[in-house]
Amino acid sequence: MYTIGIDVGGTNTDGALLFGHDILAVVKVPTDHEDLVGSTRAALEQLLKSCPAGAEIELQLSTTLTTNTIVEGKGTPTAAVVIPGPGLNLDQCGLDLPFHVLSGYVDHRGRVIADIKADQAVDAALEAKRQGAEALAIVGKFSQRNPRLETAAAQAIRGAGLEFSYITLGHEIAARLGFPRRVVTAYLNSQVAAAQERFIRAVQELEEFRTIRILKADGGTMTLAQSRQRPIETILSGPAASVMAALALTRYTEHNVAVVDIGGTTTDLAVVVGGLPVYERDGAVIAGYPTAVPAVYSRSIGLGGDSEVHLTVEEGRASFTLGPKRAGKPACLGGAHVTPTDAISALRLAEVGNREQAVAALQAFASPHGLSWQEAAQGIVDAFVHQLCQAIHAVYDELEGRPVYTLAEFLEKPELMPQVIACLGTPAPAIMPAVGEKLGLPVEILPCSASANAIGSAAARPTTGITLHADTALGQMSIPEMGLFKEIERPALFDQRRARREALERLVEYARQSGLDEVPELDIVAEEAFNIVRGFRTVGRIFHIGAQIRPGARRIRVKEGT
Amino acid sequence: MAGVGLIFFPAFDWCITPDHPEREERLLYTRDQIQEEGILDLPQFREYRPRMAAEKEIQRAHVFVPSLRAHITESHLIAAGGAIAAADLVMGGKEERACALVRPPGHHAMRVVHGQRGFCLVNNEAVMVEHIRQKLGPEARIAIVDTDVHHGDGTQDIYYNDPNVLHISLHQDGRTLYPGTGFLSERGGPGAYGLTVNIPLPPGTGDEGILAVMESLVLPILKDFQPDLVINGAGQDNHFTDPLANMQVTAQGYARLTELLKPDIVVLEGGYAVEGALPYVNLGILLALAGLDYSHVIEPDLTRYNLRQNQAVTETIAYLIDSVGEQWAQRREADLEGIFGSGDFFQRNRMIYYDTAGITESQRSCIRLCSTCAGWERIETRSDRFREMTCAVLLPWNCCSKCRSEAEAEYEEAAFSRRFRKVALHDPQKDHFTELRK
Repeated sequence: MYTIGIDVGGTNTDGALLFGHDILAVVKVPTDHEDLVGSTRAALEQLLKSCPAGAEIELQLSTTLTTNTIVEGKGTPTAAVVIPGPGLNLDQCGLDLPFHVLSGYVDHRGRVIADIKADQAVDAALEAKRQGAEALAIVGKFSQRNPRLETAAAQAIRGAGLEFSYITLGHEIAARLGFPRRVVTAYLNSQVAAAQERFIRAVQELEEFRTIRILKADGGTMTLAQSRQRPIETILSGPAASVMAALALTRYTEHNVAVVDIGGTTTDLAVVVGGLPVYERDGAVIAGYPTAVPAVYSRSIGLGGDSEVHLTVEEGRASFTLGPKRAGKPACLGGAHVTPTDAISALRLAEVGNREQAVAALQAFASPHGLSWQEAAQGIVDAFVHQLCQAIHAVYDELEGRPVYTLAEFLEKPELMPQVIACLGTPAPAIMPAVGEKLGLPVEILPCSASANAIGSAAARPTTGITLHADTALGQMSIPEMGLFKEIERPALFDQRRARREALERLVEYARQSGLDEVPELDIVAEEAFNIVRGFRTVGRIFHIGAQIRPGARRIRVKEGT
Repeated sequence: MAGVGLIFFPAFDWCITPDHPEREERLLYTRDQIQEEGILDLPQFREYRPRMAAEKEIQRAHVFVPSLRAHITESHLIAAGGAIAAADLVMGGKEERACALVRPPGHHAMRVVHGQRGFCLVNNEAVMVEHIRQKLGPEARIAIVDTDVHHGDGTQDIYYNDPNVLHISLHQDGRTLYPGTGFLSERGGPGAYGLTVNIPLPPGTGDEGILAVMESLVLPILKDFQPDLVINGAGQDNHFTDPLANMQVTAQGYARLTELLKPDIVVLEGGYAVEGALPYVNLGILLALAGLDYSHVIEPDLTRYNLRQNQAVTETIAYLIDSVGEQWAQRREADLEGIFGSGDFFQRNRMIYYDTAGITESQRSCIRLCSTCAGWERIETRSDRFREMTCAVLLPWNCCSKCRSEAEAEYEEAAFSRRFRKVALHDPQKDHFTELRK
């Protein structure tokens, strides 16, 4: 089976062709922002040359489409209709989007305490339309415990003949607790749905592929059909692709790995524990919007090969700081600025561009401060190493400080600290050995850095997960990801074993629906069980189970000379 | 913008017994509500991990019989460590205020601990206060305002004779509720007379009453005392749905109370209406701490109850405000000789019942009447569980040199005496806590 991975990035579109575990070819073409499908096509055409005619090919795509649509504010005009019930005043949530409030609410157990008023829903939708909204998001507090109010509001609006190009219901898009994030996620989902739809149609006209899958922020893939319903999950697939590439290429498959991807403007840091990526606790943040979209944990710092260089001299001591902004093209590559890349070039840490130009630029930069170019270059490299080490420490401090809610988790804290640093990016071989020395860790320079995102896209596997919440006192069970809300049969007999079995069986069913032919390993990733005691008597139990397909990447071998 | 640090440790795998009010489920709905509201995404809030309190940190506040290790569980260490972590956030200037939503609670745990009382084993607040004082020094003035519906008898006991810790407890009248203490006559020991303030509220007290007490009594007392830190022992069982008490306070009332009190550190105490009250009360308190609008925090049950405060209750509260206010104003004029006698020691004999553990302790305490410091204290204690006698000698924070040499001699003597199986010496000035088991 042939696999083509394509990452349509901000500057370049990368492609990689795989046969099984082997890379056959990689390509790079400039990205045309007005025509992402065209960029995809250009990369594809080159890769297909290395592929026998008529071969079965699966295509895995990572694009900046939804990310750009949101960042540039080019999505469909959308409004949110919200059912917040009592609690935090919505005006203080920092919701930076148009919303209309309905009365009615569901409580934390999923009981409807007050119904919505249908005419209020219709009025809200009319008002939204009047203000120019073409798509809607309808989101209630605790709707993942009981979606009835969201569904009723949608019915009322559709029943009144009001047409919207897309309506996202909160419970369909965000199963986790967190109402404001659910509102934002549903809102953005509606906003990007039309753009995704156009993209899907264009992609389907490209070629005959066995399957086409789209990369998600969590580093997994989904089918085109799924991406129609949940386009928001394709945001930030670039950083996810780089983590997937590291997982696919590293020799340390069972270890704790710090993943460092050094680019021109930024360096991205990600964390792998025991061979599995660490995820954001609450969801991805995009363009300042906190969302509930599951995402690979990734921190971007303003430090890269093209970063600005600042020099301060105090009491005869020179100190360098780099970034956070990009200075521009390095002098050695014909630019006008001194950058870390020039320091690397001048010190012969790597062969980049024209070394004479780098030395000249460094000299011009350093001599007014009474420094030699060598001192300046070494100072810049040291600053790079220092800032990167600090950022790595900050990442692990943050993860170590994540709260836990049980004694077991508190006492048996998993070891997160890295055993090795795996790195991507052109400046990595020049910089990372010093970083590894400083942190006391071995450094692995991953091959094929330049095409990492395409390799990551190709290596990604479908991910999918569900959250089962069962309340035997109320006799109700929900799996919002599957739109499943039902009565528990014989709730008195529904115990933890049954809850677990139910979760795993449903996950298999969901995985099949998601287009997975064979179901890989399943993991229970979260499990809670509580007795519900009222008046000193146990009246039921609450089970909360998170189950997922074990995430991971296809292993990829790089042959000599690729 | 007020920054609030939250330490949340619901101990989802710890209970006293599976159907006990202090069980795994207790903070489940609070967690769900806080997460669903998404307040931790607001710039005002940050969540931190608790830490585990060290044995020594616990010992600063307690004498355990027969030993700390015989009683303690990890959950107790984390609850106390959570309170300490909250205090460190504020003292280290990282956050303006902090809130420790931890369990189990602690305010019924007294200086001497033979077992669990009122669901408490370790007094989280006292452990935290002693940690704070080790950092800030002996002159630090600390006010504890206990708004749990039950009298904070453990905290009162620990600070009864401490002139730098003001303990104010608002609670349902002890004649109608556990632990049956907390009357106006309990006003502190000879070295800290008047600094134990009890406000026993009549059953049926609602928002109106508790807020009147806050505004007309608690706040003026605090203003007068000028504490460096205000700590709120935030029990939530004054709520109208609480199954163990008879009050009528709402989430709005608790939030307003918090807004008025402006505590530096909040530590969760009791509160057992786990579904109808805690999610809303905790949310209200957190919003009020951060200076956010809490007017939309309304319990689903609210309309089903008639929560108008009875006129007789209102009158009783008005009388209480006057009486306690007058006591406070005149605390310095009190006839200490008349109350504590004119001898060398003030002696108290007490029987203390441990409801959770089913233990009865008999205790004799002698406080040295000293004109220079609060006076050292000697406690002899035994219980029907641990029959052998324990003797604890406690130095006050402001111990004078005369009291120090007397107390040290007393400890030496007790250490050699065959009457005692265990002797303990507590010296907060030197942060030195000695225990000897024979």
